[in-house]
Amino acid sequence: METSIISATYTWAQFIPEFTLVGLASLILLADCFLPKLPKSCYALLAAVGAVATAFFMDSEVSLGQFRMLAVIATALTVLLAYDYRQVICASISGDDSEEGSTELYALPLIACAGICALTQAKDIIMLFVSLEVVTLSSYVLAGYFRRNQGSIEAGVKYLILGAMSTGLLVFGSAWYYGMTGSFMLNADVVTNVFFGTEPALSVGFMMAMALLLAGAFFKTGTAPMHIWIPDVYQGAPTPVSAFLAVASKTAGFAVLCMLLFPFAELQVTPIMQCLVILTAITLLIGNLGAIGQTNAKRLLGYSSIAQAGFIMVFLINSTGEVAQTQVANYLTAYLLSTMAAFYAIAMVRTQRGSEELSAFRALGKTNPVIAFLITVAFASLAGVPLTYGFIVKFDSFCALVNAYSVWSSSCWLTTLLVIMVIGATAGFYYYFKVIREMYWEKPQAELKPLNVPMVTAGVMAGCVILLIALGTWPLLTGNM
Amino acid sequence: MLIWLILVPVIAAALIGLAKAPGRATALASATFTLIMGLWAVISTTLNPECANCACWSTFAGHDLQFTLSLPLSRIMLLLSVLVTFAAILGLKAPSKEAERSWSVSALLLSTGAIGAFLSDNIISFYAFHELALIPTFVMIGYYGRSDRRTIAWNATLYLGLASMILLAGLLLLCNQMGAWSFSAMKEAVAAGVVPSGCVVAGLLLVGFGTLVSLFPFHSWAAPAYASAPTPIAMLHAGVLKKFGLYGLFTLAWAFGPACTEFFGCWNNVLLVLLLGNVLWVGAVTMSQSRLDDLLGNSSVMHMGYIFLAFAAYVALGGNNELAFKGAAVLMLAHGLTIAMLFLLNGQIEHQTRTLEMDSLGGLATKLPWLGFLFGLAGMASIGLPLLANFAGEFTVFVSCFQGWNSGEPQFDCCVLNTISGWFGGLGPVQLATVFALWGLVISAIYMLRAFRRIFEGETGPATERATKLSKSDVLSAVFLAFFIVVFGIFPFIVL
Repeated sequence: METSIISATYTWAQFIPEFTLVGLASLILLADCFLPKLPKSCYALLAAVGAVATAFFMDSEVSLGQFRMLAVIATALTVLLAYDYRQVICASISGDDSEEGSTELYALPLIACAGICALTQAKDIIMLFVSLEVVTLSSYVLAGYFRRNQGSIEAGVKYLILGAMSTGLLVFGSAWYYGMTGSFMLNADVVTNVFFGTEPALSVGFMMAMALLLAGAFFKTGTAPMHIWIPDVYQGAPTPVSAFLAVASKTAGFAVLCMLLFPFAELQVTPIMQCLVILTAITLLIGNLGAIGQTNAKRLLGYSSIAQAGFIMVFLINSTGEVAQTQVANYLTAYLLSTMAAFYAIAMVRTQRGSEELSAFRALGKTNPVIAFLITVAFASLAGVPLTYGFIVKFDSFCALVNAYSVWSSSCWLTTLLVIMVIGATAGFYYYFKVIREMYWEKPQAELKPLNVPMVTAGVMAGCVILLIALGTWPLLTGNM
Repeated sequence: MLIWLILVPVIAAALIGLAKAPGRATALASATFTLIMGLWAVISTTLNPECANCACWSTFAGHDLQFTLSLPLSRIMLLLSVLVTFAAILGLKAPSKEAERSWSVSALLLSTGAIGAFLSDNIISFYAFHELALIPTFVMIGYYGRSDRRTIAWNATLYLGLASMILLAGLLLLCNQMGAWSFSAMKEAVAAGVVPSGCVVAGLLLVGFGTLVSLFPFHSWAAPAYASAPTPIAMLHAGVLKKFGLYGLFTLAWAFGPACTEFFGCWNNVLLVLLLGNVLWVGAVTMSQSRLDDLLGNSSVMHMGYIFLAFAAYVALGGNNELAFKGAAVLMLAHGLTIAMLFLLNGQIEHQTRTLEMDSLGGLATKLPWLGFLFGLAGMASIGLPLLANFAGEFTVFVSCFQGWNSGEPQFDCCVLNTISGWFGGLGPVQLATVFALWGLVISAIYMLRAFRRIFEGETGPATERATKLSKSDVLSAVFLAFFIVVFGIFPFIVL
């Protein structure tokens, strides 16, 4: 057994991107104090460019490198979204036309992003916990950022209380982990030792540790039963923050899950896998069935994020290490592209039509056909319509489950899950298409003016959609999936 | 090169939808291109079957794509797709400029999806292209449909969405079991000794594909959807896209060879009962329709029963029933052309008289003799008059059902069926179903002739007075389809 508590070694150099991000955030905050004349929006552009730039310094050899890349891109897009959303932000913070106090919204995502990046390099639970807390603490502030808006304050408080609980679980889990294994290290040796070593009796306590640690990670990914905060917080939080929580924070959660479950890849510890199957099934049901009745676009995306988490969880059930990581990262990529495009659309509609209800999308097909097309592709990708990347990854998810049949001895668990996935995917067609139906089918009560599309929004949405189509079409044309 | 059959319509659709290119003209240019290219591909690979496998068709810019013409049914289905697409767009007549644009885009996407599916060797691509084609169908019915369009569109969406998911589950289980993800790889796997098995998987496939083809009792989405859909959508969906399910079943059965009896066989008797539901039950429903669009929608559902009959006959003989396969292929083509033509004329009748209630029509042939002639021709084809394509298909199917049958002792477990079977000298299940299915011909004749009489003959109805004149494109698009119905009636097997 390990003698030192933490034997993982880290070098300063490997954290250069993280330091750059935190440094940039501090620089922006300082500049905000000392250069009051500078328009706040230039901080947004600085933050976005900075975030993307750090991507070039990253060591691509890290096993969770794809997750880091996703986090950085999600952060850059969040900050750009905040820039396009500044009109609402300013109205909700200072109540006048000044941009007082909007800078933090550009700086805090960078700090959270640094947390996620550090997280992907963690080799032990202490590092994992600390970096996850960096993400969580920044998110508390962000969720309640609109201090004049009751919904946002409610979101902030809910997120704080439930988040604190999940932090507690994580700490408690770490303690159990250490108690059972005598080490904070996350690797296959520790697990093998517990289950197949000289003292297999330890496994009950170890299960306790895993349950608590996983529960902490589930809070981030939105897996049942830790999903309760999602719809309220997404709906209440400022739209860019919802986007950040939906994409970057979920990426962090899945990075943690991948790390925690990685040692179990070849070990076939049945109780953990069975728990995962049950939780995945519940998540899929809650997310997909809950989304059916929603009329608020952000709340709909909240339930959608639970549902998508369910589809991603499927990869981890039959987790085979690296393969599962790549599959999860691919799914998250598709999720990032489509969800970000959706949030950009929601933000634009909110800014100009004053509402986040689905009915605010009404008749966009007539007034802004191109934007309506982009939104259609984004939601179609979430639903898993062919020729979008969403189809390919959802298909992967179904394949992963079918592949699991060859490993599991009792297939009735998997068959039940397969049926639930089918129900979930079908329900997905219903609720994602509600948006599309609003845009094309419903006639508006009054004559609606076309939306004025900001450059950044147009660029980002077009970019996301082109990637979704390109990544979704090519495998179908070549037959390489 | 086959990729151009998919890229060109998509580009045309994008130009119309996003760059505001003129709707019908752009779509017509694209449809003409696919028509010429498709005919060229079909003719050259039919004359020279070796060419179907050659790389020139399946590669694009150096990449080996998975499109192929070497599957047994892909050529004939490609032919059907390009013909109906061209006719649908040539005869497209939308109520407004805006509608014209969205109808053109949808028609192009629908036909792209269908062509993509029929050319795909990879099973997941095959599935995915079909899904793509379903979306414009729903949107168009929901937006431009007749009568209670939203309920109809949602019904169709839920039915087909669920069916697609069931189908996907079945396909995944099958591919995983066989270790092969394309039709050709599946055939190789079977040749190498892998045997497909599992009643559940076969059941999933039959329900999934069956719902898409409106197999009784999963058919109730179809007739209202066709009746409600705008003309080009109804033509393309009922004529082309619906054949996807049968195409899939037949291609899988072909890939399995003799093993198909064991795989699909456990459902064969159930399928026989269900297809009789299509022919007789839906046939009876069709007879009682008072609107032409409802009648055509139901008739299209009814005729699917014959093709399922061919499938049952093919499966029963373990793939050694060449005639059933050919008959089904010709019938799919013939039914596609005929129902597309009927829906086209249905649209023209509505355009001329602003109604489809057969009671308020009558004597239309005196005002519009061409319309009367063309509708009569399509109607006769649909009934199965010799020298028209449907006859060739239906006749071959019915004959194929008696392949390999020797009169002998009845072999049913049920005494009633045994008695009936005994009357005919010991018919097997497939043959017995054929005897019942033959009555479908009488049913079709009744409703189609009655519809013709009520619309075109007799006293001039109140709505008939409004009819003015057919435009050139109206006549041309229908004549175009009629020409091929006659050609395939005389030379049914030229592309097989």
